[in-house]
This record gives sequence, C-alpha cells and structure tokens, in this order.
Amino acid sequence: MRNIIVCTKVVPKSDAVFFDPVTKRLDRTKAENQINDADKNALETALKIKEKYGGKVIVLSMGPQFFDQFLKVAIAMGADDAILLSDRLFGGSDTFPTALILSTAIKKIGDYDLVLTGEESSDAGLGQLPAQIAEFLELPQVLFVSSLDLSENKIIARRTIKGGYEIVETDMPAVLSIELGINQPRFPDFRRKRWADKEFQLKVWSNGDLGLSEDEVGLKGSYTSVRRLVEIQPSTRKKIFIEGTSEEKVEKMIEIINERMNK
Amino acid sequence: MTEKSIWVFLERKGDGVEDTSLEVLGKARELSDKSGLPVTGVIPGTMDGGKLKKIINYGADKLLYLDEANLNNYSTDLYVHSLESIVREKLPEILLIGATPYGRDLAGRLAARLRTGLTANAVTLDVDDNGLLVSGVPAYGGKIIAEIVCEKSRPQMATVRPGTFKPYFNEKRNGEIETIRPDISGVRDRVRVRERKISDFLDLTKSKRTVIAGNGTRGDLGLVKEFADSIGADIGVTRPLADRGLISRDFQVGSTGYSLRSEIAVILGVSGSEHFTSGIKDCGTVISIDLNPKSEIFQHSDYCIVGDIFDLIPKAIEKMKVKM
Repeated sequence: MRNIIVCTKVVPKSDAVFFDPVTKRLDRTKAENQINDADKNALETALKIKEKYGGKVIVLSMGPQFFDQFLKVAIAMGADDAILLSDRLFGGSDTFPTALILSTAIKKIGDYDLVLTGEESSDAGLGQLPAQIAEFLELPQVLFVSSLDLSENKIIARRTIKGGYEIVETDMPAVLSIELGINQPRFPDFRRKRWADKEFQLKVWSNGDLGLSEDEVGLKGSYTSVRRLVEIQPSTRKKIFIEGTSEEKVEKMIEIINERMNK
Repeated sequence: MTEKSIWVFLERKGDGVEDTSLEVLGKARELSDKSGLPVTGVIPGTMDGGKLKKIINYGADKLLYLDEANLNNYSTDLYVHSLESIVREKLPEILLIGATPYGRDLAGRLAARLRTGLTANAVTLDVDDNGLLVSGVPAYGGKIIAEIVCEKSRPQMATVRPGTFKPYFNEKRNGEIETIRPDISGVRDRVRVRERKISDFLDLTKSKRTVIAGNGTRGDLGLVKEFADSIGADIGVTRPLADRGLISRDFQVGSTGYSLRSEIAVILGVSGSEHFTSGIKDCGTVISIDLNPKSEIFQHSDYCIVGDIFDLIPKAIEKMKVKM
C-alpha cells in the first residue's frame, strides 16, 4: 500500500460564531477551532486501512500557521506525517483554488493510493472539494462513502445515493469522501501527543513550494465571491405556550392536530 | 448556436425525472420571467417523447435531450464529459443542479472542469439587474445567509437544496425539444456500480404531516414512530440522530438534509439550532415539545409545550387509540 492522504479542514465550532447586525460581519474571535468532524472519520478510515494493508497516513490541511496544533492532534491519533499549506496568498480562496492548492500538494507528496476527505465541512458545508480535487488529479471519485474495503488494487465502496446506496468498484488511486459518523475516531494517544508537541517536525509548505502563480490562488484564483451577508429573518410563528397538566397539554395538542387534519 | 439561457440539469429517477430537479426547474421559470433569459432543461439518457413533452410543462422553454442509453444511470465520468461538451458548445449563462448526492457529485467536478464558480446547496436564488445569479447559502450554523455571485466566468453554477422550491406546472406549456447524441466513445467509466439498492422510501419533502425527533427523544424512534403512526404522520430526525446511524439520511431535516412543507410538524426534543429550523420554516403549523422552557425551538413554533416527551407522548398515543 502506498500513501494514504487525508485532507482535513480546521473549522470553528459554529455555536461560537456571532453575527454583528451593524457591521454585517462575523465575529469568529470567540470561536474555538477543531478538526472538522467528518474529516476525523476520514482519518479514522485511513488509520484502519493502514492497520490492515500498510502504507503511510499523511494529513494535509490549508490554513494559518497556528493550525499546526490541530495537525499534531492528527499525528497523536496515529497519522505518520502532516503537512500544513500556509501562505498569505491563499487567503480568500474559494473551493476552486483550494482544490487546486490541495491537489498540487498531493502531487508533490506523490506515491499515493488513496486520497480521503470528509463528506463536507461543518462551517461551509459545500462538499464540493473532493470532486474538484479528483478532477485536478484526474482520478476517479467516490463520494459519500459509508464503508469501504480494498481488494488487490481495487476499492469496493458503499456510497449513499438518494433513497439508498450503491456498492461501487474503482481502481486505486482514487479520491473518496467519507460520510460523517461512519466510525468512532480514536482518541489521541497521550505519549504520541507529547512526542508530536515536542519533537515532531511539521512540514509547512508555502505557495513557493507548490509553484502556483499568484493569480491562481486566493481571491484572484477564486470564481465566486460573497456579495453580502444577510441575517436570517426572525420567525413569525405564534409561539403560544400550552399550559396545564400533562393530560390537558396532550388534549390540546391533539385538538390542534385534528383541527389541521380536517381542514 | 448559442443563446443566453438558464439551464437546469434534470436528474433521472428511473425513467422519469427526480423531484428536486423539477423544483429547480420551477424556480428557473420564475428567474426567467424576471430576467428574460429562457429556461433550458437538460435531460440525459433515453426517454419516450410523451415524457419529454411533459417535462416542458414543468417550466422549460426548451429541452436538450441527450439521447444516449449509457446515460440512463448516473456516472461521474460520462455525465461530466457529456455536460462539458454541450456547455462549451452552447455557453449557458447559468447552470442549476439539484443538490442530491448525484447532483453534488456532478456539480463539483463539472465546475472544476469548466473552470467556473459553483455555489453549493443554495436555499435562495435570484437574478439581479445585471443578470447575475445571486445564490444564498446558509453559513456558520445557519445564522446568516451568504449571498454568493460568480462574476468572471460562465456558466454561473449552483446546486440547490432539495425541497427548497415548489415545482411549477402548466399543461398547456409548449417548448422545443432538441435531440443531441453525445459522443462518449472516448470516455472510460472508471466507477463501476456492482449493486444499487433504493428503498421504497418516503420523500420527506412531500410529507403532509411530520413528527420530527431530536436528541431529547434519546433516540427512541420506536416511540416516535408509534406516535407518528397514530396521527398518520411520517417521521423525520435532526442531524445528530442521523449521524448516530439510527435512521438513514433520507429522514434528516435541516440545512444538510431536507426542507419540509408539511401542513403540521410536531417536533420532539429538538434544541432548535438554525441549521435545523431552516428546514421547517415552510411548514404550516409547528408544535414543539421540549423539557427546556427556554429552548430555541419554541421561537420557531406556533404551539409550545414544555414537558417530558416520555410522559406526554405515550398519553397522546393512548388518546388517539381511544378516538379510533
């Protein structure tokens, strides 16, 4: 088995992001960050494959320098190596340049059999990155994977489709997006964490290392832009509280349901 | 020949069209009436003439019929190639795709191949005075909508969340059908489908009555189902319950699941994050039960009941039994 590359995103915990209605800006300063949950499922999938078939698990992420601490968590969970793609030029990248940057880094790492991602990120929830990475790498893609196994040089995966699933087969190398919650990501190993914090040398690659032009990345390389942020309108529901004993509450609820049903 | 137009990718469902695609087609009709850009539906795979004519009734001015039996089932490689070819030939202004699993699989890759901008899982769509598509996407826990535009490349692509828009229908509507035979001879389909299983599942977006379970039900879907059955309702769940694998994602309500249009929604033990509540905003009457009197869900409900689900729901089931 050759390299298994896991693309991860560090995301803010959403309940700690605030919208300022006056400035129409987001306040993320109070938000704690974490590795996106579905990406942890992808990492766990990679570690299980490694245990069974060998290979090296390499975690890849894009973001500011302080994201190194989150990649060290991935190392403590069992990843062999981690690379942070960090450059001011990358700021403002939408999905297109992000996929280009990640796929260029994946080519630079080289010698891979699998590229895994989470199905989507919890902050943006776009889920279009894996297909775009696959396109740039010219590899087959299998998205929304809920389980997989390998046989010879083939991947046999179960992917979610509307109303059910498909069992599909494709050759390695391929890009797979892993559904949220398909496994229980392991806890970081305490001793490995200490090693990761003290001795592990995280690689940081800048745009110069990837050799992309300034026009291909960041805002310049993006095809979409945010025109404005709009606060979601407060709901106009009646908000009538039904009081009384349990029996009375149930009685009233059924009355409302029946009334609507007989309309 | 090229003409500025709004395209809607029509996903196949068996020998018909996926509901989500018809919803998107309905919205495209509205955008067309506003912008003057005609609506073209793109339907891959073989289909009989009667069915094709019927699609026009759902709001298309024109259909591009990709008459090729190898496109009857979805394939990333074959679909991306076929769509790429006709987009490059006809240069539509806008390309809309329903955000089903297949739709999302297609859209991301096609946008990368065409080197154009894609907005994913839009919940609002508009065309501004300059003819630019403005796609609204819930962001950061769904507290806000980010309005995204694609100014420098064409087509402007967006995927649309299932259940967001209502289909349009007019049986008197006429339109042109252009048959195209896509050349897929040089394309290898690298992902082979060995087995496909589609359960006879209910389409939540069509549910008239829905009982939705959140964490407060402790995942006791047996109880929830019994209650739902007693009032003739379907069941839905919040994302955390779907994440736990208790039920398939086809039952998930909210921004990464489905949007509902039920006449009645009874919501059990849901805290009411905005990712969830965006999925019930188009429901008729919303009744919620939760232990916490300050629960955010009550801000999104017509009738609010503070109480214990495990006390109230069995009582409600009993009462419904007596009535029947």
